Amino acid sequence: MTQKNIAVEVTGITRKFGEFTAVDNISFQVSEGQIFGFLGTNGAGKTTLIRMLTTLLRPTSGQARVAGFDVTADPDQVRRSIGVVPQSLTSDLDLTGYENMDIYGRFYNISARERRERIPHLLELVGLSAWADHMVASYSGGMRRRLELARVLVHRPRILFLDEPTIGLDPQSRRVVWDFIRTLRQGDAMTLFLTTHYMDEAEALCERVAIIDSGKLIAIGSPDELKARIPGSDIVTLKVPQLTNDTVEQIGKIPFVHSVTMEENTLRAYVDNGAENLPLLIETIKADGLRVVSATLHEQSLEDVFIHFTGKSIREETKKVNFLIGAGIPQKWGR
Amino acid sequence: MRLLAVIDRDLKKFRRNPVVIAMSILMPILYLVILGNSFQGKLQGLPLAVVRDDTGQSSRRVMENLRAIAAGPQTFSIISLKDQQEAIAGVKAGIYKAAIIIPADFSRKVAMQAVPEIGLFLDNTDGISAESIRGAVNGAIRAIKTEYVPIREKADEVRLRDINLYAKVDYFQSLVPGVVIMAIFLGALTTGAFNLVMDRFLGVDESYMLTPLSKMDIVGGLIISGLLVTTCIATLIFIVSILITGIPFTNWLKQGVSVLVVIVLTTLGLLSMMFVLMGRLSHPRIVGILSGFLNVILFFPSGAVYPIASFPHWLQLFAKVNPEAYAVHALKTILFKGTGISSISHDLAFLACFTIVMMTTAVLSFKRTVR
Ligand SMILES: Nc1ncnc2c1ncn2[C@@H]1O[C@H](COP(=O)(O)OP(=O)(O)O)[C@@H](O)[C@H]1O
Ligand SMILES: [Mg+2]
Repeated sequence: MTQKNIAVEVTGITRKFGEFTAVDNISFQVSEGQIFGFLGTNGAGKTTLIRMLTTLLRPTSGQARVAGFDVTADPDQVRRSIGVVPQSLTSDLDLTGYENMDIYGRFYNISARERRERIPHLLELVGLSAWADHMVASYSGGMRRRLELARVLVHRPRILFLDEPTIGLDPQSRRVVWDFIRTLRQGDAMTLFLTTHYMDEAEALCERVAIIDSGKLIAIGSPDELKARIPGSDIVTLKVPQLTNDTVEQIGKIPFVHSVTMEENTLRAYVDNGAENLPLLIETIKADGLRVVSATLHEQSLEDVFIHFTGKSIREETKKVNFLIGAGIPQKWGR
Repeated sequence: MRLLAVIDRDLKKFRRNPVVIAMSILMPILYLVILGNSFQGKLQGLPLAVVRDDTGQSSRRVMENLRAIAAGPQTFSIISLKDQQEAIAGVKAGIYKAAIIIPADFSRKVAMQAVPEIGLFLDNTDGISAESIRGAVNGAIRAIKTEYVPIREKADEVRLRDINLYAKVDYFQSLVPGVVIMAIFLGALTTGAFNLVMDRFLGVDESYMLTPLSKMDIVGGLIISGLLVTTCIATLIFIVSILITGIPFTNWLKQGVSVLVVIVLTTLGLLSMMFVLMGRLSHPRIVGILSGFLNVILFFPSGAVYPIASFPHWLQLFAKVNPEAYAVHALKTILFKGTGISSISHDLAFLACFTIVMMTTAVLSFKRTVR
């Protein structure tokens, strides 16, 4: 990999707040054109990390290069190359949706003509055309988030940072945001860096995922790679009439099978990488002259991966956050 | 241009808040009306009970003098009573500010050239009223004796009148500079840096801290939009105050331009100062506390209401570094002496230096990072 197609390069970055270390010696790289996700519970250090990468916070130590520029030495160049949608809603309530986008474009010196052409198109993309001339104060939370996702594209950033883009959104709005993010990936070769505490979000969107816990980087890789690192937690269930003990024993000896049980004519095997190995299992049974009438595969989710690596479930934390947001407490406090 | 975008955003948001606009204009004008009417320099209409037990020549003359004061300067209004006890009880109850009792032997004592006495009962819990009444009553009684020492006293009066070198300035008019300064203070407080504090409070600040806007764009843009808004409001208030109080303008153009220069410079200075003080704040409540404090330490020692010459020494020293004192002095000079820029060059020089120092500090101390 040459220097040129690395969008974000972080080396030993650390941020302390007094004695407390919010981000602890993290290193990783993000290639250009990738959707890269940081997954962690509330308070893991995701926002702190994204703020350092986007020049809002100075690292206590370590380095970060974004779009080829050092965040501490050359923050202005970094700002010109990136677009950021922070965790809290940042559109102006007493401006209209259109005005919000227009002013933002002017902050980046985008010409009046380009703004006039581009903004209606972007508003269309997030389904806010009809609301363009309404004050943002009259928008719902989901609409504001969509507006901000459109706004950040006015200046065609090379790298997009999204801090918990769907936090507090209803399932339908989440879908819209997901689809929108996927559209971005298809078009320009834009790099997307997002954080989330939703497993399904990371799994659905990200090509590479890093798991962060208590400020430390725990694991990094594609969702499949990460899952493959947990031994034997895919469960293959096969229905085989006239199943014999011999066959079961034989299957138990296959290297990728960790354990196997039998119940009348149902065989249950705990295996690595179930999706790939399922055909092999079926062939083994067929070779014994038996017939498989049905097969089910329970693949481990990223959730299982998370529990495996951090020793805790993400669910409880998530509920707490949603409750706070539902109660109308400023998201700032939830950081 | 990025700077223009910052200004435009700020002005748009200001225009969308009509309540804020109305308040910024109404409050200083109300201030003029209330301050102008509540203590008009001299006190007026204090209730004075008079019990006259003597029907003689001299007491009649005292009564005439008292009535003349009640009709002329109106320091007090007279309520005639029959009963001494009722009058004194009335003072104690706060119905009257004072009671005068002219005893039955008053005229006789005057005629006999003995020491005539008049009882004056004062509600001395209200010191200012008591002093005013004592002074006025003394005048009324002394007037009887002037028949015996006429020349010196009259000479004094004549000399007093000659001191008025300029057109007479009434109390109402003398408040106009203070009201304009008050408008500038309120404007500088609620625009400029305050918008930054509000954005930070609402968590909206990140949306422009993350853009390529420079420190100069952000600080400069907010100061310029604040300057536009505040100058408009202060000028409007100035014109309204002139119309209310009827300050005569000898040279509209010269005086008008000078006033505008003072307003612009003072606004810039105060806006920059607010940026230095509030640039890092993130809660509007702190601004609230700070503003009350600032208003007291800047406005009252500015000479807008009380003359600086009457301050104790240490407060006079403070007035030397108080931008509002220079602004008030400059406005008073322009309005009441009818002179132009040249006579206030000292004030303008101070305000310009103050502005430069504060603006430099504001830009240098401003941080783009979140914490
Ligand atoms: N300014 C700050 N001062 C002190 N502690 C902070 C500050 N900002 C964040 N933290 C702490 O750092 C940790 C990580 O916070 P954050 O990066 O916001 O987490 P996340 O975005 O993953 O929820 C939390 O424990 C939080 O309390
Ligand atoms: Mg966060």
